[in-house]
Amino acid sequence: MDNILIAATERSPELDFNFETNTFFLKGESYPEDVTEFYGAALKALEAHVEDLDGGTLNFTFELIYFNSSSAKILMSLFDMMEEVAEEGNTVNIVWVYEADDDNMEELGEEFGEDLEKANFKMKAIEG
Amino acid sequence: MLATDMYEFRNYLRETGIIFCYSGYMTEDILVGIGKAIKQKLTMDDEDSKTAKAVFSIFVEQVQNVIRYSAEKETKDNKTELRYGVLTVGREDDKVFVTCGNIIKNPDRDRLKEHLVAIQKMDKAELKKMWKDVLRGETPEGSKGAGVGFIDIARRARQGFDFDFSEVDDTFSFFTLKAFI
Repeated sequence: MDNILIAATERSPELDFNFETNTFFLKGESYPEDVTEFYGAALKALEAHVEDLDGGTLNFTFELIYFNSSSAKILMSLFDMMEEVAEEGNTVNIVWVYEADDDNMEELGEEFGEDLEKANFKMKAIEG
Repeated sequence: MLATDMYEFRNYLRETGIIFCYSGYMTEDILVGIGKAIKQKLTMDDEDSKTAKAVFSIFVEQVQNVIRYSAEKETKDNKTELRYGVLTVGREDDKVFVTCGNIIKNPDRDRLKEHLVAIQKMDKAELKKMWKDVLRGETPEGSKGAGVGFIDIARRARQGFDFDFSEVDDTFSFFTLKAFI
């Protein structure tokens, strides 16, 4: 599987999916014109990749400043996908990075994280 | 005459606390452009970043609702499509408001009203639950397939929101939602 690296724009995040190291990263603002167009191919590739994962370790870092409701749907599906990957016996480490003074992003991270049972979840505050 | 009319229009907006006003076809480029200007203005006013972020977030959901759902639209060659709406952002007392209005079809009015009345009554925990249910694609009772945009607005509008309908004719109504932050 080829790695996917998309540079950030003012309305879409940096997307760095490394299938060799199983390291996945989303960073920046997310309110693209068309979420399916932006996330579709990367999500499909990730879904195909995790199917073959057997006893592996996967790291996913979210470092988002803002996301709209359409992007929230994508994030929810990513969290649910990661939980499934963990349920199948893989180690999944999710880190939610937020700016220390951004209560809303902190709360959203907690809301996504609280449904995880098998996947490891960590919140990390950084200075804005 | 020309200047007087425009000046009066401007004064009317200022008197009602409106800082930004846009009426016309809304596009994704307009969303990005006005969004930037709103952020800039709120930063210049030393608005705290929490308020500024909530205003921006509600603004995005409101404008994207117009871009996707306004019933007043122009289509060319079944491809390019423009949808019409009105947006104002301003201050009232110590609150910031984001108001958006657009034409909807009358049959959608009751469904929309029911949905908005339901979320207006919800507390924080109920809103969170509904937000998650809708994100997971399960249609919660009473929503009848409405998207998550209004729930998002309700979650971010810490001073609540108002909405109203005004019947245009047998086919259309004008819908307005005003969110307070």
